[in-house]
Amino acid sequence: MVQRPKPVRRRLWASADGRRFIAGAAVLAVILYGQTVYGMATASSRLDPSLRNASGPSNVVVVLDFLPDRFHNERVAQYGTFAGRDGSLNRLRLRYVSPDMLRALSEVAWIARIEPIK
Amino acid sequence: MSMQASPIAATSNARRALDRLTWTVAPAVPFVIVFAIWILATDLLQPSKETLPPVSDVLGAIKELALSGQLTTNVVASLYRLLLGSMLGVITGLIGGVIVGLNRKLAESLNPIVVFFNAISGIVWLPLMITWLGIGTALAVFLIWNTVFFIVFQNAALGVQLVPEVYEQSVRALGGSRWHAMRTVILPGALPYILTGVRTGLGFGWRALIAAELVGAATGLGTMIFDAAEYHRSDIIVAGCLIIGVIAIAMDRWLLLPIERRTVLRWGLVADAEKER
Amino acid sequence: MSVVSAQHAPAARPMPMPTGWAVVARQLRSVKILLPFLVLVAIWWAIQTAGNFPERVLVSPQRVFDTMVLLISRGVIAEYVSTSLKIIGIATAISVLVGVPIGFAVGANRYAARSLEGFLRFLQGVSGIAWLPLIIIWFGFTHTTTLAVVIYTLIVPIIFNTMIGARAIPEHYGLALRSLGAGRLRLITDVYLPGALPSIVVGLRLGMGYGWRALIAAEMLVRQGGLGDLIFGARTSGQIDRIIGGMIIIGTLYLLIDRLLVQPIENLTIARWGVLRK
Repeated sequence: MVQRPKPVRRRLWASADGRRFIAGAAVLAVILYGQTVYGMATASSRLDPSLRNASGPSNVVVVLDFLPDRFHNERVAQYGTFAGRDGSLNRLRLRYVSPDMLRALSEVAWIARIEPIK
Repeated sequence: MSMQASPIAATSNARRALDRLTWTVAPAVPFVIVFAIWILATDLLQPSKETLPPVSDVLGAIKELALSGQLTTNVVASLYRLLLGSMLGVITGLIGGVIVGLNRKLAESLNPIVVFFNAISGIVWLPLMITWLGIGTALAVFLIWNTVFFIVFQNAALGVQLVPEVYEQSVRALGGSRWHAMRTVILPGALPYILTGVRTGLGFGWRALIAAELVGAATGLGTMIFDAAEYHRSDIIVAGCLIIGVIAIAMDRWLLLPIERRTVLRWGLVADAEKER
Repeated sequence: MSVVSAQHAPAARPMPMPTGWAVVARQLRSVKILLPFLVLVAIWWAIQTAGNFPERVLVSPQRVFDTMVLLISRGVIAEYVSTSLKIIGIATAISVLVGVPIGFAVGANRYAARSLEGFLRFLQGVSGIAWLPLIIIWFGFTHTTTLAVVIYTLIVPIIFNTMIGARAIPEHYGLALRSLGAGRLRLITDVYLPGALPSIVVGLRLGMGYGWRALIAAEMLVRQGGLGDLIFGARTSGQIDRIIGGMIIIGTLYLLIDRLLVQPIENLTIARWGVLRK
């Protein structure tokens, strides 16, 4: 049997290159997931209290802080049935939003508030 | 003495000849395999002409394009743009690279900028340049210039930096001017790198050209392919790709490599020209 | 005097922590990198102010910055950046998993290597973008198409460099291990892989450079999200601020990945296994 010599294991953070790699990985993680994590962390403040314990499909108004691009309309429409505006252009109506979809919707960072349709 | 005619010598001669034959023929083998698979797939799977055009269609398309003169027009148009952009790129890259190579402080301070613009060289400029230059030759020439410039620049700077300072200093010590030192020592010394840069740059420039003709100039190989895509003429698409590849190889092997070999070897400069068989 | 005593020697005096001016000097060095860019932005701002260009042609650095902050806060940038990064990541993984074995398999034999080299050079000459129309016919305007083009671009340098790396390993390394009874798996893990690794990583780095550019170009045509889509789409609506902002992000992202992720891997690999020339 060939004896494999034990290689000297150096910690990744021991070398400058290792530290750079860790920093790079951290920056990458923030870029990829930063906004998602922020959205998840602030989810509760986004959802209207009356919608917190929804058991079945709800009809909601998605309120944005800005005038949405086509990009935003398309993304929002994926969470339910798009039903037009609710007064102004930055208030979008969504019907038949399941509880799961509602939770996911509340974790979207760029949505300001989610209110029930009046 | 009679060893020459012995069977052992004979077989080793034959083996050497066979080796040499295999060596020469080897590069063609993958192409033959690909062609064989292509023909088999067309026969067995019977895909639509759009998905996989049969070899005969592609060859027919090449003939058709050649005969109608379209091939010549497009190839010439593309090569013209490549030539223009590359000349500009080589000249500016050379001047810039030599200046930066001679001046260490300048090189250090400019380095971050060069690295950044190298990261966005080529196609990334397309949207901005369409807005500024419109669609056409100017756009393609800019994109090629951009690609070639950075490659030649970096290679020239590297080449100049790597010329041992003592050579230049000895010329100056014997009374030569800076320009004299440049002409006799620095430029010839940096030449291998410069030529490698030119050769690499032209290869990349050719590839960038096709991408530049994306949005369509009036003529050119890239345009030919994208026009063909609109009419679902896959045979022309494949024909175009093959022609692009052939020109790339021909340009490198029969134009650039000999130049590199002849200048570098003739002047007895150390280079990796021998790396190429 | 002997090696043993050196190993047991008391630790040298502790690493001096940078103090005072040394700390300031180190910070200043990183600022020095930013200086040329600040000059560039200043020149940009000057040209824009002096030239009084219409908005469709050139906008101020301030405007670009504001627009980008806006787009980031609205989640647009995060998604487009995410798409691009994921595609390059998957493409890199697939290219390495497929390309390295091919490189080893072919690199072992001189004739096979020469055979494949010519073919690879041909493929390199035809950029992935030239094949794009055909690939769109096969896979449609989807991420698969973009992925295919990027893999095509990435895999060639990886195979090339794996072949070079494998061929550069002196035969007697493997023979020595085999004479001691090592099986094929040990040969791969202890001789071929480490020996070729520096070259492979160089190929990976080259490939990622080409691949990133091919990715942007492909996204411009396929238009299914990603940074190429962002800057190309902004062209039709004349949003120069988005175009310039997108270009800056594209460059910065590539530099980030290259300098902070790939280059350290390259250096660590060479430091650990760089017995042979790069």
